[in-house]
Amino acid sequence: MDLLGSLASGFAVAVTPVNLLYCFLGALVGTAIGVLPGLGPPATIALLLPVTYGMPPASAIILLAGIFYGAMYGGSTTSILLNIPGEAASVVTCIDGYQMARQGRAGLALAVSAIGSFVAGTLGIIGLMLLAPPLATFALKFGAAENAALLLLGLMMVGYLGGGSMAKGLSMAALGLLLGTVGLDPIMGSPRFTYGLFKLSEGFEFVIVAMGLFGIGEALVNIERSVKPEILKAKIRGLLGSGQEWRSASAPMARGSLIGFLIGVLPGGGAVISSFVTYALEKKLSRHPERFGKGALEGVAAPEAANNAAATSSFIPLLTLGIPGNASIALIFAALLIHGIRPGPLLIQQRPEIFWGLIASMYLGNLMLLILNLPLIRFWVRLLQVPYPLLAPFIVVFVLVGAYSVNNNPTDVGFTVIFGVLGYLMRKFEFEPAPLVLAMILGPQLEASLRRALIYSRGDFLVFVERPIAATLLALAVLMVLSPLIRRSLGRRFGAIMGPVSPAPPSATAPIGPRADRGERT
Amino acid sequence: MARRDAIAATMLLLFAALAASESARLLPFGVVRNPGPGFFPWWVSLALGLLALVQLGNTFLGRQALRPSGEGERFLKVLGVLAVLTGYALALDTVGYPIATFVLVLFMLRVTEPHPWPLALGIALLAAGGSYVLFALWLAVPLPAGLLAR
Repeated sequence: MDLLGSLASGFAVAVTPVNLLYCFLGALVGTAIGVLPGLGPPATIALLLPVTYGMPPASAIILLAGIFYGAMYGGSTTSILLNIPGEAASVVTCIDGYQMARQGRAGLALAVSAIGSFVAGTLGIIGLMLLAPPLATFALKFGAAENAALLLLGLMMVGYLGGGSMAKGLSMAALGLLLGTVGLDPIMGSPRFTYGLFKLSEGFEFVIVAMGLFGIGEALVNIERSVKPEILKAKIRGLLGSGQEWRSASAPMARGSLIGFLIGVLPGGGAVISSFVTYALEKKLSRHPERFGKGALEGVAAPEAANNAAATSSFIPLLTLGIPGNASIALIFAALLIHGIRPGPLLIQQRPEIFWGLIASMYLGNLMLLILNLPLIRFWVRLLQVPYPLLAPFIVVFVLVGAYSVNNNPTDVGFTVIFGVLGYLMRKFEFEPAPLVLAMILGPQLEASLRRALIYSRGDFLVFVERPIAATLLALAVLMVLSPLIRRSLGRRFGAIMGPVSPAPPSATAPIGPRADRGERT
Repeated sequence: MARRDAIAATMLLLFAALAASESARLLPFGVVRNPGPGFFPWWVSLALGLLALVQLGNTFLGRQALRPSGEGERFLKVLGVLAVLTGYALALDTVGYPIATFVLVLFMLRVTEPHPWPLALGIALLAAGGSYVLFALWLAVPLPAGLLAR
């Protein structure tokens, strides 16, 4: 079937009334959680995962994906109007977006952000549609050695690009790998670390871990932080702006879309990194870099386009290689597994309705988001007035009911609380939860591939360097591990002559609040 | 901050040592041409231990990245919520969902931000009752009714 025929079949799935409704709900919930600081997409997806158990798989994925990319739209609203990023990916939008709002140009900032998000999201979907099928075909050539090398590289990249300290990111990945070994051995089927507890023979339920780490963990941290938003009282007008303003925003939007798309494909890359990279690039390219930080339109257009393009392209490694690149995508991966669908190279061939249905729903979802975001802007601003302490008990109750409903077992509630404490402690000690979650999912695959490769090669480690694809991937992984040393040595030589180019990307554990965007450091 | 990082790295180091020793004690390691169930966990434990040592080294050499200032003023409130959450998990089956949830929400509303009693009671009642109706009666999640069923 050709590309357009496949896309048409996808639209046949996406435009059924039920799937349209789920697409709309996903976009709506995504925008809401993007607007609300303190509740991120991973927590929301984990929260709603049990609700999707009874849905057809395509509907479940359409809903959860809508939440993920919808949050990227909503995140900019709080950045522009409150100087509080609703999402980590919108931190950089605060810098110029809030200044624009203070100058009475909030309407234009919001419009550029929404249109930029729409353009980038749509371009991202086209890229996803064009790139995913050939990449999946290429991935079919992978054997055990290539798979092991790819998964290892994926984990290294998550540690490298995830923000914060690389040693901390990799520690969390190692911890996730260890947690993933609890249960049955993937090759021999014998129990490991179960200590006679039947409950542990299937390993830690991923949904429970994610609900605890992201749902309870995030709630506890936010209870401690208690951010009180102060809404800008200025009237939102001038959404249309002038032709000159739109012309000056179009090139940054295009560049942001392209860079965001490319960075989003990398595991661990995603929306946050891409928004910072594009901001730095726009500042470098600008003839008037001094305007950045004082309300430059390019400083809003490029990062907002980038984070949306990255959100879309982060589906590529999931749908073609079976590798989730960030925590939200990992939860969508888990949702697919729960529905008996294994994401990977065979997905497009074996379940085209899922792949093409998702692509088509993204086109529709982007349109819905554009409609939801611009005319309803006043509604979203009002939503911000709900104080977090009033919201927190409801979030916690939802998480606990969700945890209980996984197996209708109160023990799962206990495990969720335990992982919630772990999630809270991780944030307090500034460790990222995402590498742990990703490693937990990828661990059994990595172990199985690694051991199979060693069995097939009769214990010859050269199998990982004799095969060109595996060797290239491993070389990249080694480069990632050595990169801090390389950077440090380069820094010593050139540090004196190089000044800071851009603000540093925040880690996921950094507070999303008024302080985050001012970049206060201790 | 350095002290906090050192504590975290030490905890990770201890956990890595425990995981490595448990792998060696409980699981056959196998040989390289046929790795056993203990092969992977043992190597991962070793990697975790090394990473923890790197962090400890960074802490003592003062190479930790700059970070946003910490928050700790409301730590006691978090401890309180954690205690109630633990109680919730332990008592859910016996006390039942509606009562346990009512207590949890009431506690959170009164402790995290001191909402007035009538408002807190009203919201807690609404949250417990409403969510029970939604999940147990409408979505058929078999939430334990506990004391209310007797």
